Amino acid sequence: MTSTYITASGAPVPEISGVEWSEKRYLIVDDFVGIRQLLRESLRNIGARHIDQASSGGEAMTLLGRTHYDVVLCDFNLGEGKNGQQVLEEARVRNLMVPSSVWLMVSAEKSVESVMGAAEHQPDAYIIKPITEGVLLTRLNRVWHKKQVFQQIDAAYIDKDYLRAARLCDEQIERHKVHEIDLMRMKAALLLKAGEPEKARVVYERLLEEREYNWARTGLGKIRLANGDHEAARQMFQGVIAENRFYIDAYDQLAASLELLGRHEDACGVLEKAAKLSPNSVPRQRSLGNAALRIGNVQLAEHAFRKCLAIGEYSIRRTVDAYLGMARVCGMKNDTKEALRLLAIAQRDFPGEVVQLRSKVTEGLVYHESGDYRRARKSGDQLEAMLEAEPKRPHTATCIEMATLLFAVGVKDAPVELLCHVVRNNHDNAVLLDEVQKIFDKARMSEEGVDLIAAARKEASEMMNQGALLWKTGRLGDAVAWMRASRERLPDNMRILFNSAQMLINLMQQQGYSEELMIEANGVLMHVDALAPGQQRFAQLVEQLQELVPRRRDAVDSANSANSADSAAETPAAAGE
Amino acid sequence: MMEDRGGSPELFVFLASTVHDMKNSLSVLGGTLENLLGKTPQANQDASYPQLAHMLYQTRRLSDNLMQLLALYKEVGKPTYPFEPVTVPLGELVHQVASQSRVLLDAKEIRLDLDFSHELLWTLDEDLVIGVLCHAINNAVRYTRDRIRLSIAEHDGMLEFRVEDNGMGFPPSMLEAGAVVGQGVNFLTNSSGLGLFFASEVAKMHKRRQRGGSIRLENGGPLGGGCFVLTLP
Repeated sequence: MTSTYITASGAPVPEISGVEWSEKRYLIVDDFVGIRQLLRESLRNIGARHIDQASSGGEAMTLLGRTHYDVVLCDFNLGEGKNGQQVLEEARVRNLMVPSSVWLMVSAEKSVESVMGAAEHQPDAYIIKPITEGVLLTRLNRVWHKKQVFQQIDAAYIDKDYLRAARLCDEQIERHKVHEIDLMRMKAALLLKAGEPEKARVVYERLLEEREYNWARTGLGKIRLANGDHEAARQMFQGVIAENRFYIDAYDQLAASLELLGRHEDACGVLEKAAKLSPNSVPRQRSLGNAALRIGNVQLAEHAFRKCLAIGEYSIRRTVDAYLGMARVCGMKNDTKEALRLLAIAQRDFPGEVVQLRSKVTEGLVYHESGDYRRARKSGDQLEAMLEAEPKRPHTATCIEMATLLFAVGVKDAPVELLCHVVRNNHDNAVLLDEVQKIFDKARMSEEGVDLIAAARKEASEMMNQGALLWKTGRLGDAVAWMRASRERLPDNMRILFNSAQMLINLMQQQGYSEELMIEANGVLMHVDALAPGQQRFAQLVEQLQELVPRRRDAVDSANSANSADSAAETPAAAGE
Repeated sequence: MMEDRGGSPELFVFLASTVHDMKNSLSVLGGTLENLLGKTPQANQDASYPQLAHMLYQTRRLSDNLMQLLALYKEVGKPTYPFEPVTVPLGELVHQVASQSRVLLDAKEIRLDLDFSHELLWTLDEDLVIGVLCHAINNAVRYTRDRIRLSIAEHDGMLEFRVEDNGMGFPPSMLEAGAVVGQGVNFLTNSSGLGLFFASEVAKMHKRRQRGGSIRLENGGPLGGGCFVLTLP
């Protein structure tokens, strides 16, 4: 149907949006007073009554901390100090914005810097000056509409119920063709998170038949990477960067693929470039620092960790890794005193057993590298005592780091125990088992190592087989109890964790919902997700678990009411009242 | 971005910030003029009214030219330029274009006819396309007697935007220039050159299933004057 408008004013009336923009609270952030007045005039013309203004990023932060704004119109270039993107990031990190608030980034021109913010802190829309009321209102309505379309998907995402979220995307695509591309992009990301790379690949390839989307090409590369096709992935990421050399995500992925190809120097170089393009990311500087340490580029590592400390200082993104890494750098530069000072800060500011252990390892490494073998040995002994006092073991990487140090400083029993722990918890990971054998080789324990690894593997598989046997022979209750005990002994063994969760779910499917079992199963699955995200079995089990929550069924029935999305946002354990 | 450019990076930063400043000033100038023009219902009696309208027209030209220069400086179509296609209902696109031109057209007593399918969705870089269409309308203001027509229709999987006026039509030299834009011929010989070049770059950036966009100039059409045509895949 073609509609012809002939109006004196020339403007068709915008679609009825259902949003009362006049009732919202607005904040205008621009360093140019004339622009602020102009924007205020535009907002008044669309009915706005509550409008605040800020002339700098700092002033904006103060106002954002004091008042909850529904709409923020923020210029990208704010003169001295923070730019608009940094204001947005800080507001998000400090939780000054609620999910329903709208952030519009304004800029005078369409430059890459002004429209490609950090992937995790995108504004809701970008607007190029001069801003007219028609453009403003259209974009506000569109953002609002999109937030409605994504509301339930986001809620399922927070629940980590990725498969349900992906199905919700399909439903919304049918209803809202306007958001089809964004919904398909979301769906592919969800399928990747759910460990369904093949299905995600189909979505990306369909999108790429239409147009060349950088994120779709990068997504395909991620799938290749996950499939172990590291070289093909590398070429795809390289291709994306050749097309758009500001697409930061592709750099991080390229570095990951190079590392898997064993090209550590090249990986470090790519991270260095990415950090130059987008220097204010704590995780990126941390990766760069670690990559530089690995190839022995002390100067680059120092630069990265210093930057990491500087940008992280007042943010919740502050990480203990930067302090530990910087301590290593200081050790390598023979500044033991500074290294110890940093380790003291790390232990003071990041409480928790693992930081104590990791600090002690780093301390040992610092002494060892500076040639103070006596003190290094003493650190090793202290570490051994700490391990004896606390039976709980940190993550695999930390265990391996500790074992390596303990062997290096001449301690024997503790590292053997640590490595056996690693093997028991990763008994079917061939690459890791090779790595463990190499550490035994280096400690001149090759033959003992072979036996130790075999024994630890046997123990793990026997535990699992016994549980499976009980399960298969119909003794589900006994199987659940057996797996509970196995989890105590092998807290990080993925297969045991998965089987354990599966049995808990089956038990509830047989005997009915139990809040206690729900909390237990949820805890096991969240632990799995923390160990290794993106597992297919994880997504499937979460979905099965969610279906058991009594309130979930009611929520699905009243899917159209806005409140159901709020209740779905709670964690499965909390929702089981 | 700076490291790839010749010359001093400080100079580039200085120029870029100066341009931002100029754009801010022009925005304020344009906005103020719009407010003045829009808020005087009995304005036709005011002798300064046509002059204000002309000032708004000139401000728009300056602002458009600056935007186009900036975008071209960032090399539209090159990896350094952020090209972002989004799916837009044509109703929303037209609303944005029409509202940007409203005050100027009212002031000059020019009628804007709109002809498009309300249901149609298209994937395009919204800001770039709005910029090209507004520039075309602003251009038509100069040549039309009292009517401009913006029509959008789908033909053979391509979306065709037409901005027509009821003026004298383009002179042959302009039609020729329009035909060779983007073919490596130097057409920057008249005032419309930059706008045409920019529009052509924007059109070419849009690609879908191996097909690209294009522009052309024509005479005739329903209003019998000049016609700017933008075709997107």
